[in-house]
Amino acid sequence: MNGRGSILLVLSLLVAACAGVLGTRGKPTHPFEHRAHVNKGINCVECHTSIGNDDRGELHLPTSADCVRCHQKPHDARTCADCHGESHVRLGAEMARKHLRFDHGTHLRSTHGDCVRCHADVGLERPEVLRPKMATCFGCHQHENQWTLRDCDGCHVDLAAEDTAPASHLVHDGDWMREHGVRAASLRDLCASCHSERSCAACHGRTVAALPSRLAFDDVKIAGLHRPGFRSHHAEEARAEPGLCTTCHTEQSCIDCHTRSAVAPGTATRSPHPPGFLSASRGGGQHGIQARLDPVSCAGCHGGAGEQLCVGCHRVGGPGGNPHGPGFSSRRDKSRDLPCRLCHGGT
Amino acid sequence: MRADALAEARSPAGLVVLEGQAREVPWFDAEALVWTGATHPDRVTGDVLVLALRLREPHGFAEVRGGRFVFTTGAIRPTAIDGVSAIGRMPWGLTVEAVGGAPVIPRFGTSVYDWMAGGRVAQHVGSRFTLGASYVREHAPEGLTNEEVGADMALVPLTWLDLAGRGAYDLSSPGIADAHGSAAARLGLVRVELFGTHRSPSRLLPATSLFSVLGDFPSDILGTTVRWDAAPRLDVLATAAGQDRGGDFGGYGSLRATLRLDDDANGTFALEGRRQDVADIHWTGIRAIAAERMSLHFRASTELEVAWADDPRGRGAAWPWGLVSLGWRSGSGWEAAAGMEAGSTPLRRFELDGLLRLSRTLEVP
Repeated sequence: MNGRGSILLVLSLLVAACAGVLGTRGKPTHPFEHRAHVNKGINCVECHTSIGNDDRGELHLPTSADCVRCHQKPHDARTCADCHGESHVRLGAEMARKHLRFDHGTHLRSTHGDCVRCHADVGLERPEVLRPKMATCFGCHQHENQWTLRDCDGCHVDLAAEDTAPASHLVHDGDWMREHGVRAASLRDLCASCHSERSCAACHGRTVAALPSRLAFDDVKIAGLHRPGFRSHHAEEARAEPGLCTTCHTEQSCIDCHTRSAVAPGTATRSPHPPGFLSASRGGGQHGIQARLDPVSCAGCHGGAGEQLCVGCHRVGGPGGNPHGPGFSSRRDKSRDLPCRLCHGGT
Repeated sequence: MRADALAEARSPAGLVVLEGQAREVPWFDAEALVWTGATHPDRVTGDVLVLALRLREPHGFAEVRGGRFVFTTGAIRPTAIDGVSAIGRMPWGLTVEAVGGAPVIPRFGTSVYDWMAGGRVAQHVGSRFTLGASYVREHAPEGLTNEEVGADMALVPLTWLDLAGRGAYDLSSPGIADAHGSAAARLGLVRVELFGTHRSPSRLLPATSLFSVLGDFPSDILGTTVRWDAAPRLDVLATAAGQDRGGDFGGYGSLRATLRLDDDANGTFALEGRRQDVADIHWTGIRAIAAERMSLHFRASTELEVAWADDPRGRGAAWPWGLVSLGWRSGSGWEAAAGMEAGSTPLRRFELDGLLRLSRTLEVP
C-alpha cells in the first residue's frame, strides 16, 4: 500500500470512529421486527393478546408462547424477548405504566382496533420509540382547558414524581440556567406542574447548603452557576454584573462566608481592598467608584449596622459630603425610616 | 423520602439534607427540605428551606400553598417566605394570584415585624400568549423596604419563535429595578436567542440599606446565545454579549461543546472556554468535564478548570481547580459518592478537600 492509500485508510477509520462517537451511526441492536409483522397483515392483538385487559397488571408484551403459535420451530431455545426487542422500548412501556393513567381497552374501542393510529412509528424500519408522543394524544384530545387550568392529573399520575424531561411540548433549550428566570416569569405555575418547591429552594432558598451543584458533586452534568471551582473567580463575576448575586443571595450570605474566610471587617482581617482604596480624592477614589458600580458587594460586608462606618464620612459637613446622587428622590420618611434617619433623624 | 449526608474535610464538616414529598391524594401534597450541619466542632447550624402544604381543587381552578416556600411569579423576584399563597384560574385563561407572609429569616432567626404582600393578575390566550401585571410590597420594623410594580409577557407568534420579557419598577426609590427580555428562534438544528437585561443593583438591595441612596450605575447587557446540535451526540453552545456597566463598555463570551459518549448519555465529555472584559474586570477561564458510567452501579467523573485574571492583584497568576469523584448506586435506594477536589484560590495557595456523600431514598408504596 502506497502512502496515499495509507492516509486514506487512516482517514476512513477516523471518520468511522467519529461517526460512532458522534452518534451518526447507531449502536447495533435488535429491534423487534414490528414492520415485517404489520406488512404481513398480522393484527397487533394477535400477539399482544392481553391488550384489552386491565392496564394495571403485567405489561401487554407477548410471551414466547405467543410467538410459537406461529413460529412453531423457533431457532433458539431461549426466551424470544431476550434477543428480539430493545431494552429502552420495554423501559418506555414500564415508565408509561407507572406514570400514566391510560386505558388501552377504551382506546381500542374508539379507534376500532386501529393501533397504528397512535403507534404510528410501528411502520418504520427502525422505530426509535413505539410509545406515542404526547403530541399524538393532542391529535384527538385537545385538552385546552386542562392546559389552561394546569390540570395534568387526568393522564399523569404525579408529574413531579415522574422526573422526566418533556419530549415535545416544553423544551428547556439553550442556556436554560440563564434563561429560566425570564421564561418562567409568566408561567411559574406551569413550572410547578413538574417541579417541586425544592427545585426552587435548592438555589433560591435563603441558605443554600443544599445547593445541587455542591451536593451532587459527582454529577458533572449539573453545570449550574456554581460548580465548586466557582469560589476562585466569584469576585470577578460578581463585580462584572452587579446585582446578579442578589437574585438568590442576601447580603448575609456574603457576610457569613467572608467572615468564615476572614476577609470581612471584625475578623482576623485580611482586607480585600487594595492600598489607597479610601483615597480622599474627588469622587472618593476607588472606593467611591466601586460603591456606585457595585453596592451589593460593599453591602456584603458593610451592610446593616456597618453602614455607620459610611455615615461617619458621608454626611453634609463630613469629608464624604452629601451621599445622595443627582436627581435623588425617595418616598421614605426621612426622620423615621432607615437609612434616612441615620442623618436626618434630628431634623 | 430521601436523606443525604455530605461530609467534607472543611467547614461545614458535616451536612445532613433531608427531603421528602408525599402525595397520597391528587388534591393534597406536602414536601420538605431541611438541612443541618456543623461549621465548628461545637457549633451546629441548619435551616428549613421548604416545609409546605398544597391544597388543590381537583380540576385546577384553585390552589392554596401554606408554610415555608419560595414565592415568585411574574416580575416578583424569588422570595423565601413563611406564609400563604393562593391562585385562582378561570377557564377563559384569567389567573389571579395573591401572597402574604413574613420573609424568612435564615437559620431559625425571628423578626417581629417583617411582612410582605403582593399579587399578580394575568391573562393567558391558549398556550401562545400570556400577559401579567404584579405588585409587591415589603415591610421591616423600620418601615417600607420595597414596593414594586411589574409586568411580564410570553408570546409564541410562530411555532419556531418564542418571546418573553419581564420588568419591575421600584416605587420606593423610583426607577426600573430590573428588566429582562428574550427572543428565541429554532431553525432546524440551530437555536438562536437574543437577550437583554437591565439590573439596577442598589434598587435590588433592601431599601433600608444606605447603599440604596448612594446612587448606582445600572448594568445593561445585550447578547446572543446560539445552540447548535452539531451531531446527534454533540451540542455546541456559544454566547457573546456586550455590556454597559456605568458607562464602561465591555463584554463577555463563552463557547461550550458537549459530547455524549453513548445514546443514553451515560458518558459525557465537555470543553468550555470563557472570556470577560468589562471595566477593570478581565479574566479568562477554561474547563473540561469527563464522566463515564463504569458499570450498572458505578460512575466516575472529573472536572478541571483554570481561571486567569489579567490583573491578579497579588492573588496568584492562575487559579486552577480540579475534582475527581466516584459514585455508586445500589438497586435498593442507597447511593454513595466520594470525591477529592484540589485548587488554588485567591485566598489560599493550595486547598485540598475530601467529599463524601451517603444517601438513602425511601419510597412508601
